[in-house]
Amino acid sequence: MHTGSGPPAGGYPHRKDTDQRYSPRPAGPVPCTGMITAHALTKRFGATTAVDDLTFEVRPGCVTGFLGPNGSGKSTTMRMIVGLDLPDAGSVLIDGKPFAELAWPLREVGALLDAKAFHPARTARNHLRWLAAVNDLPRRRVDEVLGQVGLEAVADRRAGKFSLGMGQRLGIAAALLGDPRVLLFDEPVNGLDPEGIRWVRTFLRELAAEGRTVFVSSHLINEMALTADRLVVIGRGRLIAETSVDEFVARGGGGAVRLLTPDGAPFASALTAAGGTVEDTDGALTVKGLTAPQIGDLAARDGLRIHGLTPVTATLEDAFMELTHDEVDFRSTTIGAAGASPKE
Amino acid sequence: MTQTLTTTPPGRYRIRQVVRAETIKMLTLRSTAVMLGITVVATLAVTVLTSHAALHHTAQYYLGFDPTQQAIGAMVIAGLTGGVFGALLITGEYSSGTIRTTLAAAPRRPLLLAGKVVVTAVAATVFCVLLTLASFLLGEAVLAGGGAPHADLGSPGALRAVVLTGLFVALLALLSFGLGLLFRSTAAAIAAFVGIVFVLPLVMHGISDAGLRYVPTNLLTNSVMSTVNQGPGELVRPFPPAVALLLMALYAAVVVAAGAVRFVRRDA
Repeated sequence: MHTGSGPPAGGYPHRKDTDQRYSPRPAGPVPCTGMITAHALTKRFGATTAVDDLTFEVRPGCVTGFLGPNGSGKSTTMRMIVGLDLPDAGSVLIDGKPFAELAWPLREVGALLDAKAFHPARTARNHLRWLAAVNDLPRRRVDEVLGQVGLEAVADRRAGKFSLGMGQRLGIAAALLGDPRVLLFDEPVNGLDPEGIRWVRTFLRELAAEGRTVFVSSHLINEMALTADRLVVIGRGRLIAETSVDEFVARGGGGAVRLLTPDGAPFASALTAAGGTVEDTDGALTVKGLTAPQIGDLAARDGLRIHGLTPVTATLEDAFMELTHDEVDFRSTTIGAAGASPKE
Repeated sequence: MTQTLTTTPPGRYRIRQVVRAETIKMLTLRSTAVMLGITVVATLAVTVLTSHAALHHTAQYYLGFDPTQQAIGAMVIAGLTGGVFGALLITGEYSSGTIRTTLAAAPRRPLLLAGKVVVTAVAATVFCVLLTLASFLLGEAVLAGGGAPHADLGSPGALRAVVLTGLFVALLALLSFGLGLLFRSTAAAIAAFVGIVFVLPLVMHGISDAGLRYVPTNLLTNSVMSTVNQGPGELVRPFPPAVALLLMALYAAVVVAAGAVRFVRRDA
C-alpha cells in the first residue's frame, strides 16, 4: 500500500486552482527533526477495528493532510500519536520516541484534538498559564500566542462563553504555546466561518514553511486540496494512499483531454492504437492516457481534424472517489455519507 | 512567526511543574472559591447554632458533655462539601475535556496523577485543619460566653481532636477524588461519595452494629472528634482516634489506588 515518494528538490509543484502558495523552506539549515512514524498501528474498540495495521510517516516542512470519511479512524490515530489512546498493536513515534517519553512534550508537539478541550469557567489566559507551567514555558509565551491567534481582546473572558471559532483559536494557541516542531490538528476548520477557514489554511502553510511538521486531519476533501502538500488517506482504519496531492490526483484517473472532432471513428481507433482510452461523451471524446500535445501530433500525422482540445484536470475529490471505490464495502456505506454531507 | 523559543531547559518536566500547573488550575476556577466560601460560612454558622443550642441546660445535660466535639461537630458539613470539591477536581477535567489537554502536556500519567494528589491533599489538609480550628475557637467562645462547660486547645485531647478532624475531613475529600478517578463523572462520583459517607451509616445501623463502627462518619464523630470516653454501656465501642484516622487513610488510599490503576491503563 505504501506509495509515498520523496518531495521534489524544489518543493511540491502547485495545483493551478490554488492561490495559497506553498513556499519552499527558507534557506539555511533546518533541523531534520519532527518526523512522525506510525508502524502497524492498530486500535480496536470491542468488535470494531477503528485503526487497522496503519503504517505511514509524516515529514517536516510540509502540510500533510490526513484524509478519510467520518469514522475512518483519523481521530483515534491522532489520539494515539499523543498517547491519549493506547494502541492494541503497533506503535507511533515522534523522532523515534513514544510521545510519553518526550522531555518537554509541549515544546516538541502541539496538538489541537478537540475544539473544547478547556474548562468553560477558566479564562483563556489562565488556561494558557497553567499549560505553560507544565512545561516551564515563560509567561510571555501566553501573551505571544494570544496575539498570534487574535484573542488578546477576550483573553480574560471565560472560555466557556467563546464561540466555536474562538474556541478553535484558543486550541490553536495552546498548540503553539511551546513553539513545537510538530503540530497536529484534528478537523481544525470545523465550525469556522469562511474567513476563519482561510485564516487556518494560511496559518498551517506558514507553519510548514517554517520547517515544521504539520499533520492535519479532515473529511473535507476540497479543503485538503487547498491546504495540503502530501496526503495520508485512510478508509475504515486502513491506509488507502500515502502520497503527494498531485500524485494522488494523477493516480485516481489523473488528467483527461476533451477532444472535439468531426472524425470521431478514425480518431478513436488511432488514439486506442497509440495507447489511450477513449470514451464518447456528448459528441466529444474524453481521452485518458495521452496528453494534449500527443493527441495534436497524432492528428497531424494522420490528417485528422481537431475542433477543440481541452485538458481536464481531475480534482482531489474525483481521485478520492475513484480510489476508495475499490475498497470492499466502502462505497455503499461510508463514502456516500461523507460525500453527501460535508457539513458534518 | 518571529518569536521562537530557542532555549529548552535541561532535563525533563517533573512533579514540580505538574504541581505548579495544578495549583494554577485550582486557583483559577471561581468554583473553588465558591465551594470553599460556602464551606466556611455553612460550617461556622452551624457551629454557632449547635453551640448556642447547648447553652442553658440542666446539670443532668452536661454529664459526659464533650465541649470539643460539640464545637467541631459541624465539620461533617465540610466533609460533604469537601467531597464535592475533591470529586470535581478530576471529574471537571473529564466533563470539560481539559484532561486531554493536560495529558498532551504531561503524558507520564503516574507522575501527573502524583502531582494532582499532592495538590489536592495539601490544599484539603491546610483548609480543613484551619477550618476545624476556627470552628473549635468559635464554638468554645459561644459555650464560654453562655456559661456552659467549655474547652480550650490546652484541654485534654482538644488539640488532637482538632488536628485529626482536619486531617480526617481532608481524607474524605481525597476519597472523593479517588471516586472521581474511578467514575470520571461528577454525578456518579458524588452519588458514590454521599452513599458511602452519609447513606451507609443509616443502612448499616439496621444490619450490623459491629460493622457500623467501620463506617467513615462513625469513625469521625465517635472517635476522631471525641475527647470524652464513652461509658461501658455503649453498644458499639469506638476505635481509638489514631486508629480511626489510619482506617480512613486506608479507605482513601484503596480508592485512589483503584482510580490510579484505571487512570494509567485506560484510554483518556
